Amino acid sequence: MDRRACRRYHQDAQHGVHPLRIIIVGGGEIGFALARELSQDHNLSIVDQNPDVGKRFESLDVAFLAGSGTSAEVLERAQVRDVDLLIACTGLDEVNMVACAVANRLGVGRTICFASREDFADAHGIGETVRQHFGIEKIIWPEGQLADEIERIIAAPGAIDAEVFADGRIRLLEFRLDATSVLTTAPLAALHLPHGALIVAVKRGEAIEIPKGDTRLAPGDKIFVMGAPDAVAQVVGQIHGGRPHARQVVTIIGGGDVGFRLAQRLDAAGEVDLRIIERDRERGALLAGALHRALVLHGDGTDLELLEAEDVGRSDVLVSVIDNDERNLFASLLGRQLGVGRVITRVSRLANLRLFERVGIDVALSARGAAVSSLVHDIQGGRAHLLAVLEEGQATIVEIQVPAGFQTRALMALTPPPQSIVGAIVRGPDVIVPRGPDEVRPGDRLIVFTAAESVRLVRDYFGTA
Amino acid sequence: MRIFVVVQTIGGFLRLFGLAFLVPCAVSLLYGERHDATVFLGAGVLSAAMGHLMMRGRRSPIDDLKRVEGLAIVSGAWLLLSWSAAIPYLGAGMGPIDAMFESMSGLTTTGATVMRDFSEYGRGLFFWRSMTQWFGGMGVIALFVAVLPKLGIGGRQLFFAEAPGPTDEKLTPRIRKTAAALWSVYTGLTVAQCVALMAAGMPLYDAASHAMTTLSAGGFSPHGLSIAGYANPAVEWVVIVFMFAAGANFALHYRTMVGQGWALPKDEEFRAYVGIIVVATVLCVVFLRPEFPGTVERIRHSLFQTLSIMTTTGYASTDFQLWNDQAKMVLLFLMFIGGCAGSAAGGPKVVRQLLIARFTLLELRRTLHPRGVLPVKLGGRVVSDDVMRGVIVFFLFYLLVFAVCTLVVGALGADLVTALTASIACLGNIGPGFNAVGPMANFADLHPVSRVVLTAAMWIGRLEVLTVLVLLRPEVWRGAQLVQRASTR
Repeated sequence: MDRRACRRYHQDAQHGVHPLRIIIVGGGEIGFALARELSQDHNLSIVDQNPDVGKRFESLDVAFLAGSGTSAEVLERAQVRDVDLLIACTGLDEVNMVACAVANRLGVGRTICFASREDFADAHGIGETVRQHFGIEKIIWPEGQLADEIERIIAAPGAIDAEVFADGRIRLLEFRLDATSVLTTAPLAALHLPHGALIVAVKRGEAIEIPKGDTRLAPGDKIFVMGAPDAVAQVVGQIHGGRPHARQVVTIIGGGDVGFRLAQRLDAAGEVDLRIIERDRERGALLAGALHRALVLHGDGTDLELLEAEDVGRSDVLVSVIDNDERNLFASLLGRQLGVGRVITRVSRLANLRLFERVGIDVALSARGAAVSSLVHDIQGGRAHLLAVLEEGQATIVEIQVPAGFQTRALMALTPPPQSIVGAIVRGPDVIVPRGPDEVRPGDRLIVFTAAESVRLVRDYFGTA
Repeated sequence: MRIFVVVQTIGGFLRLFGLAFLVPCAVSLLYGERHDATVFLGAGVLSAAMGHLMMRGRRSPIDDLKRVEGLAIVSGAWLLLSWSAAIPYLGAGMGPIDAMFESMSGLTTTGATVMRDFSEYGRGLFFWRSMTQWFGGMGVIALFVAVLPKLGIGGRQLFFAEAPGPTDEKLTPRIRKTAAALWSVYTGLTVAQCVALMAAGMPLYDAASHAMTTLSAGGFSPHGLSIAGYANPAVEWVVIVFMFAAGANFALHYRTMVGQGWALPKDEEFRAYVGIIVVATVLCVVFLRPEFPGTVERIRHSLFQTLSIMTTTGYASTDFQLWNDQAKMVLLFLMFIGGCAGSAAGGPKVVRQLLIARFTLLELRRTLHPRGVLPVKLGGRVVSDDVMRGVIVFFLFYLLVFAVCTLVVGALGADLVTALTASIACLGNIGPGFNAVGPMANFADLHPVSRVVLTAAMWIGRLEVLTVLVLLRPEVWRGAQLVQRASTR
């Protein structure tokens, strides 16, 4: 341990989060979002080729340098030798990789690289070799992550969000309740929820609360169900009144990076009838070549005639992933009007996220938003490991390692911070969906649902207990 | 087009081809057929001399071959070699039209014959007949490409102009090595079959003759009754196995043999090939219940005849002219499919029919989804529009040649079924048809003009139509250079 790291270690012990020196290469949407999140706790330098970008960062307490992020000279000006972390998030993968490689040679210990194509993001085989060769600690592929998330949501019929944890042994689904649901008929305590599944949170309007036994669910509520996959499936049955679901019809509008990857995954799984609408003829030909079963349509996703001719209204799910918020919204609303069951839309500008859900989009997702929040959380770090960000950051799922010094106690004997609930206990090969009498032991991994404002409290509670 | 380049190149082929006559010459001597041996020797010398004359003033290697010159060389070489190969038939007393028919039928691996009485001809001649099929099966040009280093870059074009099927598949980066690899697989399988046939009880002479005409999907037999004449089920099973191999892609055989994994079952064309054989055999087995009471016998004949027609070999294990119309209909259908691309078989090829079927079925889907992007795929890869158009045009030309041929043969006195099946049997390089040109009959009774037209059909069919037909365009001959000008180079 060198002296600097040693000093940091002591700071860490005293203050929890200690400030890092971070260089962000690329002042675009991602760079700005990262800077906004990180500038309060850390020392940031932003490097971007375009001097005009600097104006946008004037509102933040950061240093801005105009110049190329791949130039050693520019990085030297940003005092690269004292830097703990470099994040490369320009729009060009190659630039990002070279920036990381240069920084790595100049002695930066950690580098994180954003990628927009699968070639580099592939975690296995060649991608891994390339990553090591360039001295990159982590490659983040926001579009890929988004496509994977949409796939999970599609795979859970009726769900508007879906996550899996602990290697798939724990699922989290989010639903919007309608008047036909059995769950709205009685207070939670009187409902016969299957053992192994918990309703961990309810979102009514803009407020998220952790439900208690006397909470009564109402139509229009969004609920979060966590638990073992089969138990969650039973709850899904209760939500939908036990209707068996037929093969889903999925329509994807936009065959860009996200649409293509999503289509590939759904096509390979072969569990849905897939159609994909792409405006560019050549891109369409590429899609049609790569997909086996899916039907590729050449046309504009906002073309009402096309949507009607192809009976898009009969789709169970419409996924609109064009790289343009306005057209995405328009296509989604058209789909909604035509009677599509669930509408999932990609949002590029983070500011639009809430607006989209307010005008009737079931699920609005932002590739960059999700990537930024998980990265920020990783950097803020500590014992807690962020598993998922829900409801535009209003709530998160964190995984907490119970420290060795922790005294074994029953769950109900704990007084966890408000607005948080232990959704599952992972103990070696076992996964327990806990009730009050279940114990928390040292070495357990807890999967905790928590409102955003309580994250730090939760972390500290288990970290110091 | 520089005609002298074409003439010189063909001359080179012809000179080398002269050596081939030494083999039947030796066979004739072995069986004491002195006259035939002299004829073979004469034919060999004549071919070599002719080729040598044609080669005068040749500069080598050819590395600036134009496309049309390549096509002209391949078409011309097949024509000239078949004339050269016809000399022994003339020497045995056949008329020129018949000799030409028999010779072209041999080289193109058709297997149609004009011989009425097999006892009139010597052993050496039958061996020569089988040998020409063996040369034609893997392609004489491919053989020249493999053994003639002087062809240079031009060999590549010649190889693909002759190779059957729509795909340009190269096993190795160098075309010479590819040609050599294919020929060695081919030779290896031929030797294997010869040994297997001898183990099944055939004498060496017959085994070698049949091995050469099975692997080449040719179908000539020194026995007047074809395979049926041996009345040996073991022989039939051996032939079944090797006909099946001959109809599959030799590039895939090669890949499998050099240990690049099981290339055959992964290939879509091969799976379609197997599927068609299975379905056709089952149909024949069902339809032939009255003809063959014994189940095993029925299956053997059904499988044999299905493979014989599908791979365009043309052997008969039984006189299928006597089969009922249902079973014959199945065989007729198979005549329009043929073997796999890159095989020794003729016909339009399984892969082309597969692509045409997919293209057609996609049109149905396009009617429902006018804006759909619906490419034709093969083996998970998109087939380009150029290739697809080539395939469709090929088949249309194929049908056109078939129609013209049928019209001529029919107009000159043949009955409908004879005219139809004689035409497709020659164009598809199959051999026997039905009725007057059935497996136990011959083509000698057709009108002489019909025989000439059918000879041309064999030539056109073996070179996959366009290679030959493109030479009918006037611009090919406009400004053709007969002799090399001093100024070039």
